[in-house]
Amino acid sequence: MSKIKYTLLLLGILLISNTDVQAADPSVAAPKVTKTETDSVSAESSKDADAIAAEDGDRVVTQKELQGLNSEVATLRDQLTRQLDRNIANTLRSLTIGGTLQNRYTALTSSNQPPAPNGFTVNAAILSFNGALKKDYDEGKNLTYSLSLISSAPTYNVQPYEAYLQYSIFQSLDLEKPTLYFQFGQQSKPFGLEPQVGEDKKPAAIYATFAGPGGFNLAARDIGIKLRGDLFPHVDTGYNYRVPFIDYAVALFNGSGPNASDTNKSKDVVARVAFNAPVDYSSDFRGLTFGNSVYSGKKDLLLGNGTLITGGTGQASTTRFGQDLSYVSSPIGFTAEYAVGRDEAAISGTAVANAVKATTQSRGYTFTLFYEWGEQFLTQYRNQNVYDDWWPKTYQPFLRFDRWDPNTAVAGNETSILTYGFNFFFAQTTKLQFNYNVSVGKKPNLPNVNQNTFVAQFQYGF
Amino acid sequence: MKKWLKVFFPIAALLIMAINVQGAEHPRVIRFAYPAATNPGYAGSPLVNVINDQNLFEKEFSKDGIKIEQSYIKTAGPGTNEGFAAGLFDFADYGDFAIVLGKAGGLKNKLILSPSKGGNVYILARSALHINSVKDLRGKKVSYWKGTVLQTQALRVLEANGLTEKDIKQINLSTADALAALAAGTIDALVGSYDRPLIDQGLATLVYDTRNFPVSKRYREGLVVSEDFARKYPDITKRVAKVFIQAAYWASQEKNKEQLAQLLVKTGAKYKYVKGEFGVGNLSVKDQFDPRPDHENANDYKALIDFSLKNKLIRTNIDVDKWVDKSYADAALKELGLQNYWAK
Repeated sequence: MSKIKYTLLLLGILLISNTDVQAADPSVAAPKVTKTETDSVSAESSKDADAIAAEDGDRVVTQKELQGLNSEVATLRDQLTRQLDRNIANTLRSLTIGGTLQNRYTALTSSNQPPAPNGFTVNAAILSFNGALKKDYDEGKNLTYSLSLISSAPTYNVQPYEAYLQYSIFQSLDLEKPTLYFQFGQQSKPFGLEPQVGEDKKPAAIYATFAGPGGFNLAARDIGIKLRGDLFPHVDTGYNYRVPFIDYAVALFNGSGPNASDTNKSKDVVARVAFNAPVDYSSDFRGLTFGNSVYSGKKDLLLGNGTLITGGTGQASTTRFGQDLSYVSSPIGFTAEYAVGRDEAAISGTAVANAVKATTQSRGYTFTLFYEWGEQFLTQYRNQNVYDDWWPKTYQPFLRFDRWDPNTAVAGNETSILTYGFNFFFAQTTKLQFNYNVSVGKKPNLPNVNQNTFVAQFQYGF
Repeated sequence: MKKWLKVFFPIAALLIMAINVQGAEHPRVIRFAYPAATNPGYAGSPLVNVINDQNLFEKEFSKDGIKIEQSYIKTAGPGTNEGFAAGLFDFADYGDFAIVLGKAGGLKNKLILSPSKGGNVYILARSALHINSVKDLRGKKVSYWKGTVLQTQALRVLEANGLTEKDIKQINLSTADALAALAAGTIDALVGSYDRPLIDQGLATLVYDTRNFPVSKRYREGLVVSEDFARKYPDITKRVAKVFIQAAYWASQEKNKEQLAQLLVKTGAKYKYVKGEFGVGNLSVKDQFDPRPDHENANDYKALIDFSLKNKLIRTNIDVDKWVDKSYADAALKELGLQNYWAK
């Protein structure tokens, strides 16, 4: 009896979903009951239901069962409506809510400087909202939005991290065709690897110096427009693997950084072109990429003490050039990246007309080598049909060397950081990271600043 | 100290040798991969579901303490190939075209069994379009999942009707996505497997199916083993073949057809559609589950490889005679006394 009840309940749910599907499309006519079918039902309804041995194993439903089913459907519909009204959040358009959190413990294990306190921090908390504003089922020329809010150490102010619209100019459904996207808003700068790639190419918890705020700050978001796309895609259908021969991006930004208005009329231009090995999945060259990036912009002309030269708004040029080489082919991978920048500043004068300008050249490079045991980056394999919350465990030791020279004209002022690291991926969106940084900071005519830092970080998402 | 070392090293060496010798006889675990069925824990392969339903792996391997790991890959052939390339699987049972793609792409494996043949595809079109034949698909948006058997089957059906892929607008979607797209009216037709829920919902009509297509041109499943595993554990490989043949023997009997259909309903397919897949038309259920990897099976693979090369779906040829290894099936058939069961 209980089996029949559950079957009816299940049928009810199926009927509701079926009704909804049809209701969503007015062009779909309601299923017609043919005369033969009607006759058959009325004739059979007079018989004993158990005596009906239907063809093809389908047992015919009696009128009583049908009435019971209708009643169940009505009850379920009422329950669903009440639940939707009271307990279910609604949005105007499609929405996916996600988030990333980083809980960190940092310890300065040795230093020849006064030690900083060790401690626990919530390094960053990001809440993201993504969805489609217009979905094109025909060619995939979708209009999507992305908004993320960040609160991070040390201030913990909540502010937009990324906020942009994206439109797919080319079709995006066919893997064998090129793609082109237009993005407008606050977003990443298309420069190099370290500032913009995912964790498959960046195992360390902390940015290499040139990419972070201590260097060129290329990882910081900026506001503007970006075109990014690819050309000559190579598809290995045997593995559902797609690699374009050329990835490219060109962007126009304020140059003032995130959540800030432009301070001058000129716009900064960032461009990147990368060449990928257009090979099959099984090739030894899969995952080999060589990229070139350039950044050119204007900043305000400042004196060394930060004073703005009169009329110096947007009068100091800033350029960056970068090259990168990466090979990421599970289980082994490496990335090597080089970036050089030139920044104009005033060394004397009070106005643009009498200012004496000087250019400082800075340089940074980094090399990361990693190895992994596990299947974290096998995207097809991870997609398994299982009942439980299965996820492959992955272990990833790595080694990174990072050097930053803030002024190449001055000898003996570089900072070098050697990082020994280990990442443990143990759930779909969670990893535990251990980094041990051995840092040597040189200062001209001063003793080196030597610091060894241990960082343990849980990064988890939802 | 030196005395202690003199004792320690020989003992350690013996222990290591013992572990290695044990390793040479039995693996600790045998890892299988299959394309997933709709419901979790079920495979697309009928025989795999029979094996699990009858606990045949456990019966064969539990006495040796060998664990069985089974992965049900949602991304079907491409995902199975990816895992195989990463050395994560010892055996995989999946569709012939994905197997050919993997082998042509350099996977080091042997084809040791043909778990089933005569697989069918179904072409559904939106009801509103009144598409009555394959020829009517000219210029229409037709979806099939590239890298799976649906791709070669679709091309073969088009070819049989005087069309090529250039005559349609091909959309590459997974079957689940294609069903949603057809229901939404964004594609005109799809090539899918036997479950046809959109027909029941009145959203699609059946344009064509391959049940009357020549059996040699319908898709097969294949069981492949990694060369490394087969070299290390030839006896275990034979015993795996034996388990599949036991399941094939059970499934190949007319009296078990109904039970097989009932079992496959659990995978998420509808009974009325499952029932129409076995022992119908020009293929008996006994022939359908003929597991022998040589003769007809090898010839069908040769034809498929030629077809794939002709249509530029693969770039390298495969020496089928070297790739197919019938020794495991022969030994298992002999052990089970079934040498003559499928012989014609």
